[in-house]
Amino acid sequence: MQECYFKRTISYKPNLWVIVFSLLTCLAEMMMGGSLAFPAEKGKIEMEMKKLLPLEVGGYRSDGKDQLYDRLTTFRYMDGAAELYRSYGFKQLRVRRYLKENQPPILVELFDMGSSEDAYGVFSFETEGEEAGIGQGSDIGGGLLRFWKGRFFVHVYAEQETASAMEVISELGKAIARFIQQEGQKPALLSLLPREGLIERSIRYLYHPHHLNDHYFVSHENILNIGPQTKAVLATYLSPPARDKTFLFLTQYSTPGQSKKAYQSFVKTYLPESPSSGIAQTENRKWTAARSDQRYVIIVFDAPSGEKAEGMIQATQKGLKEKRR
Amino acid sequence: MKKRKVITRRDFLRGTVYTALGTSLGVGTSFNKSEALAEEKVKVVLIRNEEVIDRQGQIRQEVVQQMLDQGVATLLDEKDPVETWKKLLKPTDIVGIKSNSWHTLPTPKELEEAITRRILDAGVPKEKMSIDDRGILNNRVFRDATALINVRPLRTHHWSGVGGCIKNYIMFVSTPWLYHSDSCSPLATIWNKPLVKGKTRLNILSLIRTQFYGRGPHSFDRRFISDYRGLLIGKDPVALDAIGARLLQLQRIAHFGEDRSLDTTPKHVFMADQKYKLGVSDVNRIEVIKVGWMEGSLI
Repeated sequence: MQECYFKRTISYKPNLWVIVFSLLTCLAEMMMGGSLAFPAEKGKIEMEMKKLLPLEVGGYRSDGKDQLYDRLTTFRYMDGAAELYRSYGFKQLRVRRYLKENQPPILVELFDMGSSEDAYGVFSFETEGEEAGIGQGSDIGGGLLRFWKGRFFVHVYAEQETASAMEVISELGKAIARFIQQEGQKPALLSLLPREGLIERSIRYLYHPHHLNDHYFVSHENILNIGPQTKAVLATYLSPPARDKTFLFLTQYSTPGQSKKAYQSFVKTYLPESPSSGIAQTENRKWTAARSDQRYVIIVFDAPSGEKAEGMIQATQKGLKEKRR
Repeated sequence: MKKRKVITRRDFLRGTVYTALGTSLGVGTSFNKSEALAEEKVKVVLIRNEEVIDRQGQIRQEVVQQMLDQGVATLLDEKDPVETWKKLLKPTDIVGIKSNSWHTLPTPKELEEAITRRILDAGVPKEKMSIDDRGILNNRVFRDATALINVRPLRTHHWSGVGGCIKNYIMFVSTPWLYHSDSCSPLATIWNKPLVKGKTRLNILSLIRTQFYGRGPHSFDRRFISDYRGLLIGKDPVALDAIGARLLQLQRIAHFGEDRSLDTTPKHVFMADQKYKLGVSDVNRIEVIKVGWMEGSLI
């Protein structure tokens, strides 16, 4: 088992409870995501990640002081921001700083997310910039380049935004994307989304209720029982003729029983006036509809009409039916 | 047992969310303002200086020192900066300066240096003081500290709404992720831990540059950084964070023309007051003493 963060930080004062708690927490981490690597695997990942980062680009050279973090130690590097990566299957982070005289430093953060689905997921969290044509999906803006390829998610930015730094950021991104040879699949759940009106860059793949709320606030409580054992996707649609935004949230549970329970919890809290139909006009005069379909729960928010909400649910169910064939 | 109110998007649409949130936080809906005003006010000092950032965007050490000296002296009703710090610290104190090293917007090193200088002036030996953030649990000075100075920049934060004084102590626990639930509402409990309890002599929020908006956990975005050129200084971390949260809100309104909501409501600030009694979050009970250049101060 890998060395635990706790052992290093509290070792000055051995305490049985601390040791027991540390072991339990580490065990829980392994059970939840299976993502704490064993030493041999960890070493292998470290070597592989090292090879993915160039030593020099555009006159910028690595400062030779790479930093490595795992699921537990990454809090030291980015504090609470680590929660996003931890809510996916994050395994390791390698941070490399590039320097050039009289130029702002450039920082690369290379995340091994454990799977391409999770690399895509963490990438999909924020796509407010422009596509840069790097890797399997990218986003550039505000001096920051983000992209994913295979099981890796990459974050490149300059400490000050200058035209030349932006060029190097782009060049660095392309070099790293070239070094990552294996591409990966997007989450299968995405293929179930109806295509009509879908805004492709609005798709968010997530496992955490907080991340649903980041993009579409539903409730302070986890009324849909979203968690590590569920897979969920939120997508935005433009509905003609007014081109209002409608949101579709699709969650896959482990069992039909869990799906039904989540559906009932949602309807009871969010649509209490429609416990049997699961469809209602909300205070903004738009429509919300929900349905449980075997292991899935489909919810449409802010549809312009009840018929439109129902139509989107049926279109999603059609996709589910085809998948089961 | 009273059933807990679940807040949904529909509460916002109905406009009932503030009542709902107030109830869930344990804030009485029949809040009596005159009663609050009768209570003693908490004092915080807002000091600003236009010259603290030069034309090249560099922070000027000597101006930061002046701002710190004047701000702390105002807070403690003193004139001489050295005497002021002698009121805060004894030469026998062991002093930890809990800073913040978030690489994109850290505590300015100029501010760290200004604080260090005054701690030395107060007679604390150099080897009895330390500045640290992420290594504090392994830092002997922090383990043995008799006094803490809490200093960090003000910014929005993905999990807690606002990254301020209360949140800056999260590195005093080895399991920070256990404090991220429910919008980080339990953060104030860290202030009750033996390493921390009763030791904080001064809190300083650096407003030299603030980040007033951000999306997502990495959340650094230069478009939403403001050169506010100020310091907010006080003894009550909750009061500082409450004023800080209000400032960030006003900066968002000024920038976007609307009150654009954060990823998370800074619930932990209110919880620190209402539940954990760490300080005062009601802005009606906070007296902001303004010193220096106040153009565009918003507060």
